[in-house]
Amino acid sequence: MSKQGRDRSRAQRIVEQQKAAERRRKVTLWTTIGVVLVLVAAGLTGWAISANQSSATAGKVVVPPTSVDNGTAFAVGDGPVIVDLYEDFMCPICHEFETASGPTLQQLAAAHKVTLRYHPISILDRASNGTEYSTRSAGAAAAAAVGGKFIEYHDVLYANQPEENSDGLTNAKLIDLGKSVGLTSDTFASAVNDKTYDAWVTQVTDTAAANGVNSTPTVKVAGKAVTDPNGGPPSPATLTTAVTAAAG
Amino acid sequence: MDTGQQRRARLGSAWPWISTVARLGLATVFLVAGGTKVGDLAASGRAVNAYDLMPYDVAKIVGAAQPFLEIALGLLLLIGLAVRLSAGIGAVLLVIFIAGIASAWARGLQIDCGCFSKGGELGAGKVPTYGWEILRDLGFLVLAGILLVKPRTRFSLDGLLMGEVEQ
Repeated sequence: MSKQGRDRSRAQRIVEQQKAAERRRKVTLWTTIGVVLVLVAAGLTGWAISANQSSATAGKVVVPPTSVDNGTAFAVGDGPVIVDLYEDFMCPICHEFETASGPTLQQLAAAHKVTLRYHPISILDRASNGTEYSTRSAGAAAAAAVGGKFIEYHDVLYANQPEENSDGLTNAKLIDLGKSVGLTSDTFASAVNDKTYDAWVTQVTDTAAANGVNSTPTVKVAGKAVTDPNGGPPSPATLTTAVTAAAG
Repeated sequence: MDTGQQRRARLGSAWPWISTVARLGLATVFLVAGGTKVGDLAASGRAVNAYDLMPYDVAKIVGAAQPFLEIALGLLLLIGLAVRLSAGIGAVLLVIFIAGIASAWARGLQIDCGCFSKGGELGAGKVPTYGWEILRDLGFLVLAGILLVKPRTRFSLDGLLMGEVEQ
C-alpha cells in the first residue's frame, strides 16, 4: 500500500471510531433517560395501586355498631384500667397467650378492674394459602360481636385454630362455630358469607399499624405496651402487676 | 508459553461472562424480592413501618412503591438496559436496606427484615437474623459492584444498541 493509501485508511478509521463513540454517547443518554422513566413509573404505579386499594376498602367499611375506641375494638368489662389487645386469629402465639393469660384477663374484667378492648387485626393473611383466613375470621368475630357473643366466639375460634399456612377454616365452619356459641341467626351467617365486616378489619389493621402495632399479640395496659422481660407476650403475673400499677 | 499478556487477555475476554452472571443474578434477586411483596402492598407498608424510621403514612407509600421498583429494576437488569446505571441504583437500594437492618439491629428491634417477605415484627421466641441478612445483602452488593466496574455483558440490550459484535 502507498503512503497516501495508508493515510486515507487511517483517517477513515478515526472517523469510524468517532462515529462509534458518538453512537455510544447517544445510546447511553437515551437508555439512562429510559431507565429513570421506567423506575419512576414503576414507583408511581405502586403508589397509585395502593391508594386505589385504600379508597376501595374505605368505601366498603361497615363499622360494627357495638364497637368502641373509634370503632376499632370490642369491649369486655367496664373497669377503669384500659387493656388493649391486638390479636390475629391465625397467630399461634396469640393462642398461647390467650390460653395462659385469658382467664386472668376475664377475672380482672369480671371484678370491674379493667376494660378489655379486643382489636381483631389481620396481619397474617399470607399464612392461609390465599383464603385470607385472618381477615375472614376477624370479620366473623365482628359479626359475632354484633350478635352479642364476641368473647364466646373469640374463644371458640382459638379452640379451633387452624395451622398456619393451611387454608384456614371455611366460611361454613366459621358459621358452624357461631351456632355452637348461640349465633344461630341468618344475620350472622350472611355477614360471614357476604364478608360484611372484612373491609372494617382491614381498616382496624391499618389504624393499629399507625399506632405502632406491628405484631400480634400486642398488649397495652393504659396505653403502654406490656411484654415479658424476654420480649414475649405478658404472663398473668406481669399483666396483674401492670394493671395494679396503672390503677394507682 | 503463558505470558502475563496472554493471561490478561484471557481474563479480559472472561469479564463479559462474569458480568453476565452477575447481571442475571442481581436481576433474579430483585425480581424475587419484589415478587414476594407485590401481592400485598398493605403488608409491605407495615413491614416498612416496623423499622420505625418514618411516619406510617410515608411508610405506606414506600412500602407500596418498593416492590414495583424492585421488579422494574430486575427486568431492566434482565434485558440489560443501561446496566451500569441500573446496577448503581440497585447498589444504592442495597445500601439503604443494609443501613435499615443495621439500625433495627442497633435499636434492638425484633423484626423480620421483610427482604424477601412481607416482614413485620417477629413472633415471640424467634430470633432476628440481622447478621446473616446484612451479609447476604453485602453479597448482592458485590454483584452490583462487578457491574459498576465492568458493565459490558453478553445477551444485553446495551450490547445490541451499541452495535457491538459478539465475539
